[in-house]
Amino acid sequence: MTAVVEVSDLSKRFGQFTAIDRASFAIEENTIHGLLGRNGAGKTTLMQLMTGQDFASGGSIRLFGENPVENSRALSGVCFIKESQKYPEDFKAKHVLRSAPWFFPEWDAAYAERLVADFRLPLDRRIKKLSRGQLSAIGVIVGLASRAPLTFFDEPYLGLDAVARQIFYDRLLEDYASHPRTIVLSTHLIDEVSALLERVIVVDEGRIVIDSSAEDLRGSASIVAGPRATVDAFVDGRDVLHREQLGGLSSVTVARLSEAERSAAARAGLELAPVSLQQLIVRTTTSTSDKEWSQAS
Amino acid sequence: MTAATLAEASPHRRPSSGSRVLAVFRLHFVNPGTTIVIPWAILAFIFIVNVAIWALIFAAATSPSDRADAQEGTSWSGAATFLFAYMSVVAVQAVNTTFPFAQGYGVTRRDFYLGSSLVFVALSAMYAVGLTVLAEIETATDGWGFGAHMFTAVYYGDGPWFVRLGLFFALFLFFFFLGAAFATVFVRWKAIGMIVSFGAITLVLLAAIALVTLSDGWPAVGAWFGSTGINGVILWSLVPTAVAAVTGYLVLRGATPRN
Repeated sequence: MTAVVEVSDLSKRFGQFTAIDRASFAIEENTIHGLLGRNGAGKTTLMQLMTGQDFASGGSIRLFGENPVENSRALSGVCFIKESQKYPEDFKAKHVLRSAPWFFPEWDAAYAERLVADFRLPLDRRIKKLSRGQLSAIGVIVGLASRAPLTFFDEPYLGLDAVARQIFYDRLLEDYASHPRTIVLSTHLIDEVSALLERVIVVDEGRIVIDSSAEDLRGSASIVAGPRATVDAFVDGRDVLHREQLGGLSSVTVARLSEAERSAAARAGLELAPVSLQQLIVRTTTSTSDKEWSQAS
Repeated sequence: MTAATLAEASPHRRPSSGSRVLAVFRLHFVNPGTTIVIPWAILAFIFIVNVAIWALIFAAATSPSDRADAQEGTSWSGAATFLFAYMSVVAVQAVNTTFPFAQGYGVTRRDFYLGSSLVFVALSAMYAVGLTVLAEIETATDGWGFGAHMFTAVYYGDGPWFVRLGLFFALFLFFFFLGAAFATVFVRWKAIGMIVSFGAITLVLLAAIALVTLSDGWPAVGAWFGSTGINGVILWSLVPTAVAAVTGYLVLRGATPRN
């Protein structure tokens, strides 16, 4: 694996407030990353730091092997679509699509046209007059058609309806398969995107609390369900992340189980179910005791 | 992960900084309505209205002395001055909205500022040429047949066409870079930056006025303006223009686009 961005010991303070706290992680080449976390966790700040838009208070960032700040060479491989992207005064969508190729050498105009049709984006209306969803559609279209080696989508689908979001996910996967590149998707709609993600980076209060492949993460915990006594006997002495009881039945989330343990559970008549990415992340970003577990995993 | 593998990461096509500057330049012109079409259209409208007014005055004021008075009055015409304020606004918007947009495209602050400055210079040149041509026509037709002034008003200085051209050019540069400099302050420090910088400028001006007053320097100041003349004052404006241009860059270099 090659890293297109390598972040080590990165900190960002705004006065007394520590927005990013000694973060270290890598963005791997040709991989779809989920940058997940609650609102205000530091996702946007991290992306602004990686793209040279903001300045680090400590630590280092290498973008394509170079310092990103004011680095035209490194930044020319980056497209960063923000949640509430600003557009030049009096621009229409057609102006965005006309000018984008000057900045992205890999821009695919025919693909952009198909996306415009998919999202039913009016090209000849002032951007100021567009709906929230149409505004987001412009960003999504630019992010996809730019084919930039490194594309950041920061909550790109504000106001997009379920159909439009599905179109975005589908097009992203298709295009990624035919034009592999590095994608960082920041979102709090975790379940919706979990099938897309190959790597997951979770940030909470400025700290990286999970940095793992999505597959490892999904296997890092299971739900064990069955009669309460049987479940209690099975989970005794294990890391219990969450416990729910209903009458004589119990459902307990436990840390990673080995193959032998899984078959033992099956023999005991217990049901095993995977934990969704969303549940895992909610558990790791809500309480401190859970945080310790996630760092161990 | 070693440094060697990092350096080889994703060998994307890396355009030169020059081509990024050019891309920013073109970006400002992709929608030419606001910067070119609308200002000329407004100017054309104002011109037509003025011609109508001159014709009315000409018809009403029949005695030669009244006519001379009216013609003299038009040399203080402010009809074309909106263009300069308009260009300040163009510069403000260029920095305030186009800068965050361009940063999303991976454009550095330096490339953005260079590209935008080239736009300001190009627009200054275009408007200076336009106004010079109109001023020359105005002179050649004896004020459009009415002895009127719109493009040869006193504030634009006086002289042969190339002097007029240079003066218009300098005036436009002043308004563009002043607008851009204030916009960079806003982009970097938002409203608080504007308040502080306006406050600071007010204090500096006040201090200058106090200094001149206390040292009985007003006659000297008046004498300087008298001997420098309007042409000279416009030329001197190149100094604050240059200061604004450099300040704008230094301020923008530390700015982060925020929502």
